[in-house]
Formats: sequence, C-alpha cells, structure tokens
Amino acid sequence: MLAKLNSYGLTGIEGCLINVEVDISSGLQRVDTVGLPDNAVKESKERVRSAICNSGYAYPEMRVVVNLAPADIKKEGTVYDLPIALGILCARGIFPIHAADDYIIIGELALDGRVRPVTGVLPMVINAYERGFRNFMLPYENAEEASYFGDMNIYPVKNLNEACGHFRGTRLIETFPQLKWKDIKVRHTHDFSEIKGQQQAKRAAEIAVAGNHNLLLIGSPGSGKTMLARSIPSILPDLTMEESLEITRIHSIAGELRGKSGIITEHPFRAPHHSASIPALVGGGPRALPGEISLAHYGVLFLDEFPLFPTAVLEALRQPLEDGIVTITRASAKTTYPAEFMLVAAMNPCPCGNFGSKTKECRCTPMQIERYRNRISTPLLDRLDLHIEMIEVDYEDLISKEKAESSEAIRARVCAARKLQLERYKDDGILYNAQLTSQLMRKYCTMTADAEALLKTAYERFKLSARGYSRVIKVARTIADLAGSETIQKQHILEAVQYRGVDEKYWGTR
Amino acid sequence: MREYGQKERAWLWLGDTVGANVRLAEELLYNNGGIMELFDSARRGAKLILPEKAPASLSKSLRNNCSDSFIDMLTERMEKAHITAVTRDSEGYPELLREIYDPPTVLYVKGKADLNVKLPIAVIGSRKCTAYGKEMAAYFGRRLAEKGACVVSGLALGCDSIAAENAANTAPNDMPTIAVLGSGVDVVYPYQCAALYNLICERGAVISEYKPGTRPARENFPQRNRLISGLSKGVLVIEAAAKSGTRITAEFALEQGRDVFAVPGRITDLMSVGTNGLIKSGEAKSVFDVDDILYEYGVFGPDVEKPIKDTDTSSLTSEQREIFKALLGGEKTVDELCMITDYSVSDINMYLTEMELSGIIKQLPNGEYGV
Repeated sequence: MLAKLNSYGLTGIEGCLINVEVDISSGLQRVDTVGLPDNAVKESKERVRSAICNSGYAYPEMRVVVNLAPADIKKEGTVYDLPIALGILCARGIFPIHAADDYIIIGELALDGRVRPVTGVLPMVINAYERGFRNFMLPYENAEEASYFGDMNIYPVKNLNEACGHFRGTRLIETFPQLKWKDIKVRHTHDFSEIKGQQQAKRAAEIAVAGNHNLLLIGSPGSGKTMLARSIPSILPDLTMEESLEITRIHSIAGELRGKSGIITEHPFRAPHHSASIPALVGGGPRALPGEISLAHYGVLFLDEFPLFPTAVLEALRQPLEDGIVTITRASAKTTYPAEFMLVAAMNPCPCGNFGSKTKECRCTPMQIERYRNRISTPLLDRLDLHIEMIEVDYEDLISKEKAESSEAIRARVCAARKLQLERYKDDGILYNAQLTSQLMRKYCTMTADAEALLKTAYERFKLSARGYSRVIKVARTIADLAGSETIQKQHILEAVQYRGVDEKYWGTR
Repeated sequence: MREYGQKERAWLWLGDTVGANVRLAEELLYNNGGIMELFDSARRGAKLILPEKAPASLSKSLRNNCSDSFIDMLTERMEKAHITAVTRDSEGYPELLREIYDPPTVLYVKGKADLNVKLPIAVIGSRKCTAYGKEMAAYFGRRLAEKGACVVSGLALGCDSIAAENAANTAPNDMPTIAVLGSGVDVVYPYQCAALYNLICERGAVISEYKPGTRPARENFPQRNRLISGLSKGVLVIEAAAKSGTRITAEFALEQGRDVFAVPGRITDLMSVGTNGLIKSGEAKSVFDVDDILYEYGVFGPDVEKPIKDTDTSSLTSEQREIFKALLGGEKTVDELCMITDYSVSDINMYLTEMELSGIIKQLPNGEYGV
C-alpha cells in the first residue's frame, strides 16, 4: 500500500514543499528512509515506531520505504516525524488514502506519541500559503506563530491519536482561531521615562532612531549605556505585520522561537558578547543560519565593550551596515538574509573606565589608552553617525521625583520624522536619511546660506574628515526633519556638529 | 665635520664602552688616575685597575675599543646621523651638570650643541594631564621661552611635550627648548612625538646620555629624570599625581639643590595632589604666573600676561552669555547646563557649538565643557 502526504522543509529562509511517500510491502521487517535525509531525519524512524506503538496502533511487521521528494534536496530537522507516522498509518488503512491530500503536515514526535514543536514554521506556512495550500496541521505550540498570516485553517495537534482521529473523521480538530494583527498590544520592558538625566544622550538616541543612524556611546561603567540602548526599541515606530512576519521568519529559522509562542511583535534587541565570532555575528555554519545582525533585523544590535570585539568581526559589519543585507555562502547552502539593524555601540573611555574622571583614578598608561581606542578603525568610526559621551548620574538626579519624557512622546516625534523621509525618498529606493548617497544628498540636503558658511567654518575649525563631513549633513537632515523643516538651517548644523565632538578628544579627528 | 680633541676622543671611547653607567666610569677614572691616564694605559696594553663589581669582559672591551680606527668609526657614524657628542671636556658641556652627583661622561646631542644656556627651566608634568594641565603647560612653555628662558623637558606625552612644543614655536628665542631622552638620541620615543622631535632638533637640542641606537627601557627614565633637573636652574611642576615619575624628578631637583616651582591645583583633583603636596610641605614655591619664576632669577619685565582668562563676552547673545557664566563657575556637562539654564538639549548643543567655533569654550574629557 502506498500513501502520499505533504510536508514542508526549509532551504535557507524560504520554505519548500516536500512530498512524504510511504510504501509498505511484504518482506522482512525493515525501514528505509531515502531522499537525502540528514541524521535527524534518519533517526526519525525510531521515534515514529515508538510513537505508533505507544499510541495504540500496531506497527507493520513488513518492509517500509519512506521517500522524501524531491529527492535531490537535503532534508534536515525533525518536521517529518508526524507526516511519516501518519503516512505509515494511512498505508495500513487506518484512515482514507486521500483524507490528507490538501494538508501540510509538520511536527516532531515524542516516543509516547505527543507532538513536539519545531523551528521554522512561519516561513514554511507563508510559502505553502503562496502555493495555494490552506490547511495546515501543526504542533500545538507552533499554531499561534502561523495564525496571523492570512486566511487559512490551522489544525493544532497535540498527539498522534488526535491527528489520526481527525483524518479518520471520528474526532475533528477545531481550527485555531485566526489572530488579528491590530489586536496586538506591544508592551515594552524599558521606557525612556526611567532614564534620569542624560538629556543629551536621549536626544541623540531620538535623532538616531528618526534617521536610522548608528550610535556610539562612550562612558564610564555605570553611566547607563546599556540602559539607554535597551530603551531604544521603545521609541522605534510600531512594527507592521509584514515586518513582524519577516522578523519572525528569521528567528524561526534560527530556532530562536523555541519555547516562545506566536509571532514577534517587538523590535528585536540583540546584545551579543564581545567574544562573538564572525559566523555568530553575520551568520554561517554548515546550514548558513542567520547571525546576530539578521536576528536584529528591524531592531537594535547592541555591541557593548565595542573595542574588545575582534577587529575582523567589527570589519565584517561594515558591508551589511551599508547594504542592509548579508549573503552567507557555504559549501552546501547559499542564503541572503536581511539585516536592517540599528547599530548601537558602547565603549569605555579607557580600559579601566575612569579616564577623565575627577574622583576616580585612571590606572591605564597613555599607551594602553591609545591602543584601546585605536582598535576602532576610522572607517568604522565614520559609519557610526552620532557619538555621544555619557556621564555618571549623580545620586540626586536618580532620586529626583520629576519623571522624564516617556517613550511614547518621543516615538510620536520619531514617527513624524520618519514619515517625512518615506514621503521624500519614495522614488529613490531608500527609506531613511542614513542611507543617503552623495548624489541624493545634493538633491535633498539643501541648506540656507548661513548654514553652509557655518559648516565650512566647522569643517576647518574641527578638522572634520570627508566622511565625517557628510555624516554631519545627514544628521543635520534628520534634525531638520524632527523640527519639520524642509531646508537645513544653521541651528541644525550647529547641533549635528556636537554629535561628533567626542572624536577630537579621543581620536584627534572629527 | 666636527673635530674632536684628544681628550674628547678619550671620553668618547669611555662613554661608548661603559655606556651610561656613570658610577662604573667614575670608579675607573678614580682607580686609574684620570681620563688620559686610563686611556693611555689601555692603549699601551698595561693592566687596568678595575672596580670590584665590573663585568669580566670590561677590560677586554676597553682595550679593543681604544684604537684610533674604532674612535674614528664612532665619530663618522655620529657625523652621518647628525649627532654631536659633548663630553666632560667639551666646550658646550653644561656647567650646571657638573654640580650634580653623577654627571654623564658624554652627552649625545642632535641640534644645537652648546648646552650652556642662559636660563634653563625644566617644565615637567604628568603624561595623563588634565585639560588644566595642558593649558598650564602651554602657557608656561610659551611664556618662559618668550622671556628668554630655555624649557627643559623629557619629550613625554602630556605636559612635557605640550610645554616643549609651545616653547619651540616661540620665534625670538634661539635656544627655546632642550629635550632629554631616555633612549638613544636618534630613537624617537614615544612615536607620537616624532614631529615635535624634528622641530626641537631644528630649533633647540635633543640630548641623551645613552649611546645612539639605545632602545627605550623602563629603567632609563628615572635616570634620565636626574638630567632634566640637573640641567636646569629651576624645575616647574605642572601636574603630578601622588606617586609619579614627576615626583621623582622633583625629588632629584631638591637633592641637587634646584629651585622647585609648582602650579597649584584644586585640592580635590587627583592630578594636583603631587603639586599641592610640594607646595604644602614647603618644598616648592607656588607660581601663579611666569613672573613668579623669572623673579627668582632676576628677570623682570613690565608686560605681565596672567593665566587668568578674560574673555570678551560682548559679542555673545544673551543665551550664550548665560551658558558662559555657568561655565565660568566650573566645568559642566550638557545635563547640568540643561538644569541650570532651562534650555532644551538641542538648543544647548547649538549654543555650545557656536561658542566652540568662536573658541570661547572647549570640550573636556568626561562630557564636560569649560571656558
């Protein structure tokens, strides 16, 4: 007897349809899995056997061949357990042969017959939906993740018996209610109102988010760099469903959704440790999995102790920072992942952190300090548009009752500024000021005469580099957008110059 | 080509063989009756009376190196590298150095070789100086040179190099600064000072008691410091932490009977603990302007430029003046300015840049701004 079911696999970020064919014929008892299965798929026959037996069915003491088609794509992971088990039961005649024809079946089996959640469900469902499939049998824990996407029937299944009963028609599984995107309320764990003082840093964060600029925070330990960075997602504009699905898709592939339910509605905040390798950060491994920069897509990538990251790792960030995508090529896989993230880097002023402090002694030698700072190359420094120094807040500031501005108020301004940019750049293929090319800058960054004169003075007086110069203009463009001004005025340039002021002190240039 | 006399050649031989180990050289001289006697004995192949602790190879190398051809090679090599040797019997040897306990046998010089300058004043200070230290080093370096003094320093980062740079850039002085190195005179250390090194070679002199080519070693620097104070009539300490190389130089100066001056700082500043301590113990005279130093050496001038700033605020807007006034009371961060003045951050940033551009205020480490 032959049974055919549909399941889904992943190639990179995209899903691909896999036909699971099970044939039972007379012969010595034996199970063969063909169709380029990896180890997890090969082992599936043991789980399937135990699950079938422990669910109260008899396992066929005959020859079983499982074919995963198309046979030339590598099959990975455990998603095929459930379709294989159901295929065997179907071939034994437990349920009608065409009952599961228009279903996509995904799930891992436990030995007792329970269905376990798997990774990467969302990209599979999206792809299958686009191919016209409307019925999905998914592990119960994965149901929510898929349920925001489109109009379809999701049958959450808890164990093999339920699945079998459904196809026999004896006990139908209720479809999972489709969730509405607009019902989602995002709750942020951090809020700008909790940050006392740090006016300048908060303002810099607002500008950075408004124009999608990258941010460098310099400050002694305990000055609140991490706190500020963690609060940045709370002033990013709310995610659209498409963005949310894209984020969830990437996280789903990386297995980051394990143990969490549903879809990612919050901007990701990723803070890898400085021991991270290049593959960990940009993506890689034999399966070309996404790295931290892709997991931070539409969110914040926070690199604390920035100079302690290996130089090669930091330099590897430069290309994705420019392009917003990263292509990972490995022997067995080649994948392009999106990586539109906002980089927030943080560092101490010197290795011990007390440089410049009047009350704490800095124990570093001038050479150590220079070596520490020189780990940040000038091209990389130039890619961080705003540089800001954070100072430890006095105790009195911390206990002051006066609440600072909330994230919501800041977000409103950010949204307005971003809207202006989207409108302005709708024909230019870019979204934000940070992406302006020199050609577009000439077109859109018109300045008043006194602003231009001022910029020239600042360029000479502060010894701005050529890149630093264009960064000042881009930041000034964002400041003007925040103020709702079409041309860049003198005061916008004046403020923008301040956010490169640290360079002269620390690196001798701006 | 500079010709070296017979005595000078003898010193060159001794200096090259014994190196900067002045104690050893002194003992050799004492045991053998003087430089010429020592030199002659070595040339004749007679037995040399060596000090007890001398290395075994010393007598061999003394004898090997005393040939004319070897000394000619030394002088040629120095000539090529534009180095002049000033020995204890050379004309340019600084008289002040002869007073100290262990004057070097040979000084290697790049630049002007007459080291007997009119009024040598050492200006020393921490390598990690604060903005205040930088400002004071610049002021004293420049003003001392303008008044005809010669700024002696160690070409270290921080106070030393700032004072030397400001002195070297002062036009009418023909020997504005001397830098004393802890490495060979042709070895630039630290590398950040390369430009300054060249400037000093041209305008003044870079000197060292170490043989050309000697790498900088940690233990050379305290020994070098005794020359900085020894070369000078007075030593001005700009900034010093409680325990520091700067303190060591100040102690050398006291031992050598030099005048010590110190720039007072705030009693809470870590970088002023050393200077304030010198003043408190009576070891140093506190100086408030350059005339406080020059007065001690009988140099008087009618024009007194005080380090106290007197900025013309008439061109400022009322907002800028408000910020300026706040900063006059001490360095402040943007946050503090926000609290004091009630302007928004973006406005304050704007005013600060404007004033920075006109040079009225400047950024300091730790996010502060100062006048």
